[in-house]
Amino acid sequence: MMSDQFRGKVEQYSPKSSPRGARSPVVSRQDSTGTLKTTISLGKNPSIVHSGPFYLMKEPPGESELTGARNLMAYYGLEHSYSKFSGKKLKEQLSSFLPNLPGVIDTPGDQDNSSLRSLIDKPPIGGKELLPLTSLQLSGFRLHPGPLPEQYRYINQAPQKKHHKKNKHKNKNKGETPTGLESTIIDIGGADTHEKKHKKQKRHDEEKEARKKRKKEKKRKKQKHSPEHSGGLTPSQHSNS
Amino acid sequence: MAAPLGNLESQLELFIENVRQIRIIVSDFQPQGQNVLNQKIQGLVTGLQEIDKLKSQVQDIHVPLEVFDYIDQGKNPQLYTKDCIDKALTKNEEVKGKIDAYRKFKGNMLSELNRTFPNELAKYRAIRGDE
Repeated sequence: MMSDQFRGKVEQYSPKSSPRGARSPVVSRQDSTGTLKTTISLGKNPSIVHSGPFYLMKEPPGESELTGARNLMAYYGLEHSYSKFSGKKLKEQLSSFLPNLPGVIDTPGDQDNSSLRSLIDKPPIGGKELLPLTSLQLSGFRLHPGPLPEQYRYINQAPQKKHHKKNKHKNKNKGETPTGLESTIIDIGGADTHEKKHKKQKRHDEEKEARKKRKKEKKRKKQKHSPEHSGGLTPSQHSNS
Repeated sequence: MAAPLGNLESQLELFIENVRQIRIIVSDFQPQGQNVLNQKIQGLVTGLQEIDKLKSQVQDIHVPLEVFDYIDQGKNPQLYTKDCIDKALTKNEEVKGKIDAYRKFKGNMLSELNRTFPNELAKYRAIRGDE
């Protein structure tokens, strides 16, 4: 009995029984022609203006001339750079980018406090005029003769590199090296090293000469003993004699 | 743009060369080398003055801060350029993919709408024009 009463009440409020069907009863829909275009403006005087067939129709965004649909590498003329860097495998070390820079430069900068980042974080004092040192100031740079103590000698010493020849050539061309310093272009360590190298090279050349001579003599001996030996000289011997 | 940078580069090279030569002189110092050393030290000051003079010529050259990180790590800064180019190319391809996908979606959507709501779409086309 109770349940029948309840069902009756529910059916009264059910949308099925609503005269408007499932529609919300609040907003009346006068437009059934499909020509709805509504502009809703809020604020002090809210208003609803019917102005066309579609809801929420906005102006499309303006088309930009340059979008990602275009090959931007070609647009900015960077194809050459792209092919330059994508084609070959770049050497990782900084020294391969700056081959003429002396010293070890491939180690992290924060290890020896030489990082560029520290220049930004703690900018050096600037703005002062740079003036040549007076003779009194220069006297502070008077040094004792002799080599550096061992612990300072090999700091930042450049390792043997492949491009020494190029370096040497460049420096020779520039002619900036003061007399007596050429010997140290190859190795920063000191003049002795180069002298040693020179000597070594000299010795090497001498050995080569001696070897050549021995070979020649051997050849001559062989020719003397061979049955085909005519006693004549080889063309090279001709030119020598 | 290349000339001021070239000037700065050659001045820096001269300065570095000067420092290198000082290092050689002091690494095994000879008494007769004092005059040369003094000249070299004055050369350092002159070199710094020359570099300072070039400051105004390179004011408008901007260097990305990330390049400094590469250099500080002992890496070739050209790797940064390469990474930038690679990233730009990847992004370009990605965006182009998105644009193409949206274009296709729009085409499919319009054809489906045309099939289901031909009248409404005709009105829509009339408002929007020939899109």
